[in-house]
Amino acid sequence: MSFLTIPFGPQHPAAGHFHALIKVDGETVLGLDPYPGYLHRGFEKLMEYRVHTQNCMLLDRICILDPLSNEAGYVNAVEEIGRLEVPVRAKYIRTIMLELGRILSHISWIGEMGMALGFDSACRIAWGDRERIIRLNEIISGGRIYPVLFCVGGVRRDISPEFVDKSYEALDYLERQLEFYDSFFFKNETFIMRTKGVGKLGASEAVDLGVTGPNLRACGVDYDIRQDEPYEAYPEVNFKVVTREEGDAYARCLCRRGEIAESISIVRQLLKDVPGGPHRVQLDPMYKTPEGESHFCVEAARGELCFHVVSDGSPIPYRVKVRGPSFSHSLVAFPYLAEGSTIADIPVIYWSLAPCPADMDR
Amino acid sequence: MMIDKIESHLNAKFPDALSNVAAGDRHVIFAVEQKESYPVLGELKSIGFDHLSDVTAVDYIDQQEFELIYHLRSHQQRIRALMKVRIPRQSPVASSVTALWGGAQMHEREIHELFGIDFLGNPDLSELFLEDWEEIPPFRKDFDTRKYVKEEYYGDEEQYPVVKG
Repeated sequence: MSFLTIPFGPQHPAAGHFHALIKVDGETVLGLDPYPGYLHRGFEKLMEYRVHTQNCMLLDRICILDPLSNEAGYVNAVEEIGRLEVPVRAKYIRTIMLELGRILSHISWIGEMGMALGFDSACRIAWGDRERIIRLNEIISGGRIYPVLFCVGGVRRDISPEFVDKSYEALDYLERQLEFYDSFFFKNETFIMRTKGVGKLGASEAVDLGVTGPNLRACGVDYDIRQDEPYEAYPEVNFKVVTREEGDAYARCLCRRGEIAESISIVRQLLKDVPGGPHRVQLDPMYKTPEGESHFCVEAARGELCFHVVSDGSPIPYRVKVRGPSFSHSLVAFPYLAEGSTIADIPVIYWSLAPCPADMDR
Repeated sequence: MMIDKIESHLNAKFPDALSNVAAGDRHVIFAVEQKESYPVLGELKSIGFDHLSDVTAVDYIDQQEFELIYHLRSHQQRIRALMKVRIPRQSPVASSVTALWGGAQMHEREIHELFGIDFLGNPDLSELFLEDWEEIPPFRKDFDTRKYVKEEYYGDEEQYPVVKG
């Protein structure tokens, strides 16, 4: 049988540093082989040379669009080994920032999805709105993309009245924008035609492939770590886990759209009454964790993010393992869904899974 | 099935196989011998642990052993199980769990590349992240990243003189 091999990526705008070779016969895709590694920086190994304070700097770089989830997973794992009690105020600030991070990540994704559909104005508008949350990051931490805000024992900086005012302002703005996105993007005839029925994944297949996060919830499985194993201040807030039944690209997109609305509501609930008190436990920069290990999972914007930290009693972790959500999405689920689809659907399937190559390669 | 029931269920099926059992509120952690590992994983899958979250390897160089950690979750019962198994560092071979969880294939391929552990039954253990790698697997404890970077990128001082501030 004759077939043609065409490359997908690794140029940034189409694939985000992810490379795959697609075997096609005419329009039909016969198979897809992923070739990752363009962003492999070996973070897990680099962390074995650095103390926890330094590692917080590295963690942000694991996923560029959703940095705070990585920080939350690591610091919680270290705090669990050290049996550290984090002040309640720090937990609230962390949760506010995590949810703002989720909105940031999902809004960036609207842009990426728009790009995959050849709908460039969606990309411009969404990435412009993303700036609202980047500015909040800057106010609280000084860093726009990489806040490096969480530390073992709390958060590096406290929230200011200015931050609270600007947050409400940004949330009001984004809530209005969400209706606008509905009218020009999510209810757009072209968008619906391009995504409905494309890349359909059944619930049991999705679980077998290791799919998590909004991609799994779009198949009807209500697995959300914020609800099942609540961490930080999530037990204090009311929110709905957004699920859909169809399991196609359209359902995955609408799940994310629903999550933005839920996150806006969570941040509002938390901002209303942030408890007083200190925002961190002051620790020695060379803080030594006792011997032991812990496994901590958080619900990142893109799915299940787990940190397995092994400590041998020194200030440096013996081993850190990061289980990023995108690993299963782009290396396992994407080739599975690509087989039998058409070339034009490849970018739609890829971006509807919302993988982050930085977090896949680590 | 609750967390404490899992231990008794597995103990009834595999007498004396489990050791170092620790049950938390989120998960149960236990270790097994290598010969028991595949049957125990098969049993865990059959009682509802349908999500293989991750496979982790840890290099315990002082004891000359690798530890493989299987992170499982049951979506129906909303609990996790972590199973640890030690394998000798000299001949690191484990059985592949690809037949149980389809997602396992890539996790094993990653561990094969970064730790040099072989997985019998895995259809594809080719290179994943690295390209033309000829050194020892880079995540092993006896691989020194700093020394490697210094020799690889700063080795020739005439060509790349070290700038002293």
